[in-house]
Amino acid sequence: MRKTRFGKLSTWILFAMVLALPSIAFSASDKLTQDEAVILSHLPDQQIGKTYPKGKEINVGFLAALSGPDAGWGLPGVTGNSIWIEAVNKTGGLLVGGKRYPLKMYKFDDEANASKALQGARQLVLQHDVKFISAIGGDPANATAPFLTKHKVIYASLVPTDMQPSRPYVVAGGDVTPQCNMFNPLMAKMILPSEKELGRPLRYALTTQDDIMSRQVGAWEIGAAVSQGYDIVYEKFFSTDTTDFAPIVSAVLATNPDVISLCEAWPEYQTLMWEQLYLQGFEGVVAQNYADWETNLTKIPPEFPAARGAIDSFPLMDDPWWGENSWQASFTRIWNKQYGPGAPEDVHRRMTGIDWDHVVWFIPWCIGAQVAGKDTPGEWPSNDAILAALRKMPSFATILGPGHMSGQEMFGIQNMIEQPVPMNMFDLKANDKRIIAHMNFEPWFEAIKPVVLKEVKKRGQHWTQRK
Amino acid sequence: MSSQLLIQTIANAIMASSMYALIAIGLTLAFGVMQMANLAHGHFFMVSAYSVYALYALSGWPFWWAVVAAVAVGAILGVIVERTIFRPLQGDVVSGFIATMGLMFVFEVLVGEIWGWGLSRPIPSPHMGAVRFWGAAVSFQRVLLMPFAIVSISGLLLFMKRFRLGRALRAVALDPEAAALQGININRMTALALGISGAYAGLAGGLMSPIYAITPSLGGHLILPALIVVVVGGMGSIGGATLAAIIFGFIMTFVTTLVDGVTAVMVSVTVMAIVLVIKPQGLMGRVIA
Repeated sequence: MRKTRFGKLSTWILFAMVLALPSIAFSASDKLTQDEAVILSHLPDQQIGKTYPKGKEINVGFLAALSGPDAGWGLPGVTGNSIWIEAVNKTGGLLVGGKRYPLKMYKFDDEANASKALQGARQLVLQHDVKFISAIGGDPANATAPFLTKHKVIYASLVPTDMQPSRPYVVAGGDVTPQCNMFNPLMAKMILPSEKELGRPLRYALTTQDDIMSRQVGAWEIGAAVSQGYDIVYEKFFSTDTTDFAPIVSAVLATNPDVISLCEAWPEYQTLMWEQLYLQGFEGVVAQNYADWETNLTKIPPEFPAARGAIDSFPLMDDPWWGENSWQASFTRIWNKQYGPGAPEDVHRRMTGIDWDHVVWFIPWCIGAQVAGKDTPGEWPSNDAILAALRKMPSFATILGPGHMSGQEMFGIQNMIEQPVPMNMFDLKANDKRIIAHMNFEPWFEAIKPVVLKEVKKRGQHWTQRK
Repeated sequence: MSSQLLIQTIANAIMASSMYALIAIGLTLAFGVMQMANLAHGHFFMVSAYSVYALYALSGWPFWWAVVAAVAVGAILGVIVERTIFRPLQGDVVSGFIATMGLMFVFEVLVGEIWGWGLSRPIPSPHMGAVRFWGAAVSFQRVLLMPFAIVSISGLLLFMKRFRLGRALRAVALDPEAAALQGININRMTALALGISGAYAGLAGGLMSPIYAITPSLGGHLILPALIVVVVGGMGSIGGATLAAIIFGFIMTFVTTLVDGVTAVMVSVTVMAIVLVIKPQGLMGRVIA
């Protein structure tokens, strides 16, 4: 009798559990907003709402300047990675090989300093076992490459110039550097009067801080400028300790350039250089890799960049060009809700082109893990397998459009994402930059390749020349 | 070099010299009286610049009121540091050196914790325009530095020569024991020296806050050129520091314009080394027997 009652009770409990299962399964996804679901749509196999066994937590690192003059290229990127991780974790984790792996991010401020970057890499890998590191690159990439290669940890740099065949785990290209720099001379030519009208070749000047990233990217940009028929009238690098930009800008202006490229100038330097360009009355086109107008406009009136045809890349996700129902619009809404004015983690600034700049490689890595995971059910795939899977894919989703793996010809290894290159100009009405074109890099590069490679090699910056 | 570039470069050099002089003048005064280098001087500058950020950029105070507040902040910091660090360590140069080095980190961390690490704090230019003459252009904000540098340095020299307190400061700088025997209160004088030194750092930080990128580590970047100027000028010599600031400003600006910024730093440090080899006491420093 007692046994029967217990049997009935257990049957009811079992029945209740069966009924509760779907709600348990969906409880995690209940909180997933529509915008987060849109964000996750880049994943080929996330199976939102379906339950899978839980895998161990997968740690990723953020090793970049979180303070100092280079912080503008590091710190904001933490928000994009966090948005992605939160969305993935709300579904129970990244679905790889039949298991859901929650993601966790560890940060380390390398202050763009090589030795600090190596210290950070050691801490992230040895202490937290990270599998993937978001980074800025340049000198820190050089410093960390041997250690991260040994531990087979992916280092996602912002600049493909960090890539070399001897660094199989350094990946880049997410933010289209240096392709966007290479398009700067072409874009400037569309704004300026023609050589025929002027009766002379157009004059191109480039100045930026003296670091490995600028040397390398600068060489590709100058190569592209030469291929477009420009005379290079100024190509100099300034110390990273520079605090006074007046003499630098005076020297550049003395060469009467039609275009001044600030190339890879760190955000803080760039603002002070824009101020000097305004004060000393430059009248040509100003190009750069990335412009942060919220900060720049504290020093100059908006009419100045509007008149100068200020060119850069790194589009804003809230640019109306993307449309209301786009991935970018969803990202913007999530960002504003989480980090905008009055939000729980208010960062007291507008969203910039760097907020998405690091997650741009993090997402393909997750895509690669899902694809590679099909061959290793129940196990997290190796980074070799992830990269191999990405290389095999003819196309995968990226923030900037359909992408594929490239880079063999330019950097000796197929670790660069190739995708549409958005180009911006400052827009007075918007008081910010706006996308004016999406460029297709590969066919254009094919046409100008001999000239560009010659200039890059002349400056000792081809991957075959760098040790 | 075209005549226009020459004029522009001279104008840039004058402004750079004014900037170096304003930063270094307080440092050399403190050294003269205390016989100890205050390595945290650049951090007084940085804290004062953050005061302008908080009052002007965030709270909407008029810029000049914020600068006055920055001067007060610098002066108060100077007095506190004198009372808590320099006075207990009087005469112990090495301990003073290490203590002020530690103070640099304390200020950096405090400011970072209060106003945040990471991105620099942009301070909008209160005067967004340039003064133009003979084809050269210099921002209003920089032009302001020159009269401030001239008036403040002349004022300090006048104070040291004509006023009783100033003469007492000089006496302490020359021979503290003899000054004490004359009835001069050494502690009061060192507090006054650090207070004035801090006020000068505050003035420089306040005026230059819209020119620099303001971060907690700014003080560390400024102390090296300030020390070069003070050492080349002659430790403790206001006139020497002014002369060295002019030389340093012109070298940095001309070499940057003609060659590049990296070479400019190399040349200025080389010049410092040559000056010290020829005149170890600096351009206008005293030879201590």
